[in-house]
Amino acid sequence: MSASLTSPPRNATLGHIAWVLRGNPLTALAMAGTALLIALAVLAPWIAPYDPIASDVPGALQPPSATHWFGTDQLGRDILSRLLHGTRLDLTIAAAAVGLSFAVGAMIGSFCGFVGGRLDRWVGRFTDVLMAFPLFVLAMAMVAALGNRLENIIYATAIINLPFYIRFARTEVAVRRNAGWVEAAQASGNSRGRVVLFFLLPNILPIVAVQISLNLGWAILNAAGLSFIGLGVQAPTPEWGIMVAEGARFIASGKWWLVFFPGAALMFAVLCFNLLGDGLRDILDPRMRT
Amino acid sequence: MDLTRRQSLLALTALAAPAGIALPAGAQPAASRAETLRQVTGNAVNTLDPTMPGSTREAFGISMNVYDRLVAFGRRQVDGNWVFDHTVIRGELAERFETSADGLKITLHLRKDARWHDGTPVTAEDVKWSLDRAVSAKSLAGPQFTTGSLTKPEQFRIAGPGVIEVLLDKPDRLALSNLAVPYAIMINSKLARQHATAEDPWAQSWLQNNTAASGAYRIDTYRPGVQVTLTRNEDWKGGAEGLPFFRRIILQTVPEAATRANLVERGDADLSIDLQASDITALETRGKVKVASIPQTNGFTHISFNTQVAPFDNVKVRQAIAAALPYDSMFKAALFGRGRPLFGGTFTGQPASADFPQPMPLKQDVERARALLAEAGLASGFSTPFAFSAGQAATAEPLAALVQEALGRIGIKVEIQKMPDAQFNTLVAEKKLNFYTDAGTAWLPATYYFFYLYFTRDQRWNFASWNNPRITELSNAARFETDQAAYDAACREMIGILAEQVPLLMLWQPNMDAVMAANLRDFTYQFYRQVDFRDLKRA
Amino acid sequence: MRKLQAIGRRIGGRLLSSVPAILGVVILTFLLMRVLPGDPAVFFASGPSAGQQEIEDLRKQMGLDQPVPVQLVRYLQDIATGNLGRSMTTGQPVLTDMQQRLPASLELTFSALFLALACALPLGILAALRPGSAVDHVVRFLCTLGVCMPTFVSGLLLIYAFYYLLGWAPDPTGRIDIFASAPPEITGFLLFDFAVTGDLEGFRAAFSQLILPACTMALFVLAPLARMTRASMLAVLGSDFIRTARSIGLAPWRVILVYALRNALLPVLTIAGIVFSTMLGANVLVEKVFSWPGVASYALDALLASDYAPVQGFVLLMATIFVLVNLLVDILYGLADPRIAAE
Repeated sequence: MSASLTSPPRNATLGHIAWVLRGNPLTALAMAGTALLIALAVLAPWIAPYDPIASDVPGALQPPSATHWFGTDQLGRDILSRLLHGTRLDLTIAAAAVGLSFAVGAMIGSFCGFVGGRLDRWVGRFTDVLMAFPLFVLAMAMVAALGNRLENIIYATAIINLPFYIRFARTEVAVRRNAGWVEAAQASGNSRGRVVLFFLLPNILPIVAVQISLNLGWAILNAAGLSFIGLGVQAPTPEWGIMVAEGARFIASGKWWLVFFPGAALMFAVLCFNLLGDGLRDILDPRMRT
Repeated sequence: MDLTRRQSLLALTALAAPAGIALPAGAQPAASRAETLRQVTGNAVNTLDPTMPGSTREAFGISMNVYDRLVAFGRRQVDGNWVFDHTVIRGELAERFETSADGLKITLHLRKDARWHDGTPVTAEDVKWSLDRAVSAKSLAGPQFTTGSLTKPEQFRIAGPGVIEVLLDKPDRLALSNLAVPYAIMINSKLARQHATAEDPWAQSWLQNNTAASGAYRIDTYRPGVQVTLTRNEDWKGGAEGLPFFRRIILQTVPEAATRANLVERGDADLSIDLQASDITALETRGKVKVASIPQTNGFTHISFNTQVAPFDNVKVRQAIAAALPYDSMFKAALFGRGRPLFGGTFTGQPASADFPQPMPLKQDVERARALLAEAGLASGFSTPFAFSAGQAATAEPLAALVQEALGRIGIKVEIQKMPDAQFNTLVAEKKLNFYTDAGTAWLPATYYFFYLYFTRDQRWNFASWNNPRITELSNAARFETDQAAYDAACREMIGILAEQVPLLMLWQPNMDAVMAANLRDFTYQFYRQVDFRDLKRA
Repeated sequence: MRKLQAIGRRIGGRLLSSVPAILGVVILTFLLMRVLPGDPAVFFASGPSAGQQEIEDLRKQMGLDQPVPVQLVRYLQDIATGNLGRSMTTGQPVLTDMQQRLPASLELTFSALFLALACALPLGILAALRPGSAVDHVVRFLCTLGVCMPTFVSGLLLIYAFYYLLGWAPDPTGRIDIFASAPPEITGFLLFDFAVTGDLEGFRAAFSQLILPACTMALFVLAPLARMTRASMLAVLGSDFIRTARSIGLAPWRVILVYALRNALLPVLTIAGIVFSTMLGANVLVEKVFSWPGVASYALDALLASDYAPVQGFVLLMATIFVLVNLLVDILYGLADPRIAAE
């Protein structure tokens, strides 16, 4: 393939990234989009024109106008302000859930891949069980069982992602287990724990990053789905999923702005994360590009 | 060759025919589209026997159309709409009835020409069996019948062919009314008993999926959770106005409210009674459908406190919250104003009318709220959860947001808890929710019945776990009071105590908004909040 | 003959080794349901005047008065005898409900997968032929766009546009026109049943009911399928035998469609297997939005009502299908590539 033939050597990382971005405008856009989202999330309290929770019932359900760019909802709350604050919450949910499943999953998976034996078999069984579950239903059941609070939504999303990280890390570590540099690290007196934590885990990190990026988008969609069936974040917290789910109720009465803007925000975020994941793959390993 | 193939295909069909479908009775000419009514609903029918624990409201609706009861409530016109009238009771399977002067004996005479769906005549033995079943079998009927002092089979006596007597110890004012509720179905006992077993002497498991009825419609197909279709019983005699207009009824479950609205507006469905308030307003404006908006006069939406638990055991705290809430905004945001407010009443002390529910003297007065909270020693406020069920989210979610905002202003920090319905109901029944919103509907909207059901005794429906000795005394006395003036006085006193003690805040009666095809007429609001297909007509 | 025996042994071994996983799923679901804060007895006894006694009676009738380990043993015994319990929400045995509803879900999922493959394969091939080109980027962007919208939103929008505004689609309420006569109940797969009985009108009606929900689901799974097709095609197109085929002057379309695609399909098949079992469990929201009488919406209703038996039955069913689909993919793999089967 032309990509692998012309790609520069690995040490010129920045140059490589720039090269990939030039060849792949979508990735550049996705990066810009992600940066924008993060900026909005950080700045939300300062740039939001209104209080996202303050109601104004006489001014309810107004279409977009100069005072309310994205219109108002059933309680007269400013949709733009709610969206901006929602960015914060949704990115937190996604990052926390994916971070958690990555931290736990990659750790367990790496140890299993490195140590093998009985532990590996038991963990393998456990991941088999989780994988055989219909995942969305599992998430629903967990949120219903633990109560639909923010932290439980994060836990549920993290748990249904867990088996993928365990498997992934296990396979990648098992491949590297017998590599020269691992043996060297052991020979120089590092304990097994140290070898996994400080040598193997950092080594597989870049490959896992692709998965993380794809999962971020998926976690947001998952939270939105939970909101739609009434198991989402509690009102009146501004969260995209709950705004889309509530807005969807108004489709039939022609109040399009209630679903359109949150829906667009949600799509934009998921799109950025997905394209970014693809792009990361290119940057890390051109031959893996799919 | 061809024949055998078709035969095997038929055999296959028979094998694959799903269980739980009652076979259509006899071949009748197919009903035209005009004679077919299609209702779409968000919920589902889950049993054909309405007395089964867990039966849905839709199941009540179907049973009212498929079974007959001995008597039925009349109806009257209010503001151009038909509403049930529980003060007028007419015969349904009974042709006539009389109550003895002392109110201790009700004699019911069955229609001579009444037939079960299988063509056999309705006898006094069938009726006795059905009534015995209601008070003996483990079902929801028993507890309902006790509210009419009907508790044991000995109270039902056959007094000759086609004559049945109901005997009472005390003249209970709701004994006869209880014979008109959905649980009081009359069952073809000869048919049902063929399916009774030693463990199941009342054929409860068979009747869940089959009917032994005499009502205006027969079950054509029954797919639990998906749809029910009915065909008219051409031999029905129990109606006040002869045979129903519609020959075929389709009741279909469509979970998405927006889709139901689309279906009715495009004319693919004829009727829906559970659309969202926002959609109804839009549909009304566009004018392609007819909307009958009728306040649910026997129901109420409320905010309840657990009066047994601090800080809500302090009447000042309850009064403070009552004075802090923005009732008008809540009414507008949650219901879009589609209902009858139960706040903003003007009486002090006791009301002029003994009717209930009626608007209570609740209005927003933030200064008074702060003062009351300070009097209760909680000037710096406190924090509390506020719960509602996911099934009511469309109205309760905006309501909760406003409650949170308003109480925040007087220093009370509210954490909103939306829960799945099962969890919510469990916690209400176990009295573990201290501050929540819910709704109640009384089938028999007598004032004493509301107080007896919702404000006395340690039971599921005492929303506020309220224990007021005077209310208990008055409601028990009113139940057996035969003097109207004394009864009214007791009712007014109870309403006065409720207004002063505010164990719960009466908010409003939501409208029953029946959205229907423009050519439908005579929709009646029924106490069980479902459609009586027997009244409906297409112009 | 020996090959067949080997395959048979392989199937047996795989099935046997999946038993612990399924058992784990069953037990985990069972425990998870008991943790649900709702008490089904309270929920279902909530008639207008039900009291404490009714709740106790119902709890006894449902076996909920027993300690959890006893309930679990009883439940496992019941499963072993093919009894999945009774649903309180529909009043039917869970097995009956599943039998009625599974074909609906399967038909929808198969159609959606078929539709998705029909789009993903050409798009993936197109992208693989010109990697890095504008076509490649457009394909990638379009496919990713499909994944970005929650299915309930795309479903509702499709209904709004194609049913409410344009009136092209029939009313989105289930599998068949409600006023039409009852469908022939042979397999429960309506398209198949209508085709077998030669009822063209019925086939058309069932097909038009199916198209919107199938599109909604297909949109969501387009991306992984197209992406895998592209990757796998790229790998194959770079291999020696394709170069050979090209060098001996075979027509380009022949090289691509016959030689390359055939070899590139195997990884796509694996992904399709995974996508299928995920879709079957994940189409809860699509079924809800389209009033589709399938198993997933059935499980959702039961879950929200704390109705244990249907949820447990549903998860068991899904886990079994998951195992079977994986097995099927495995066997197809083995048939296509003898080297794997021999391992």
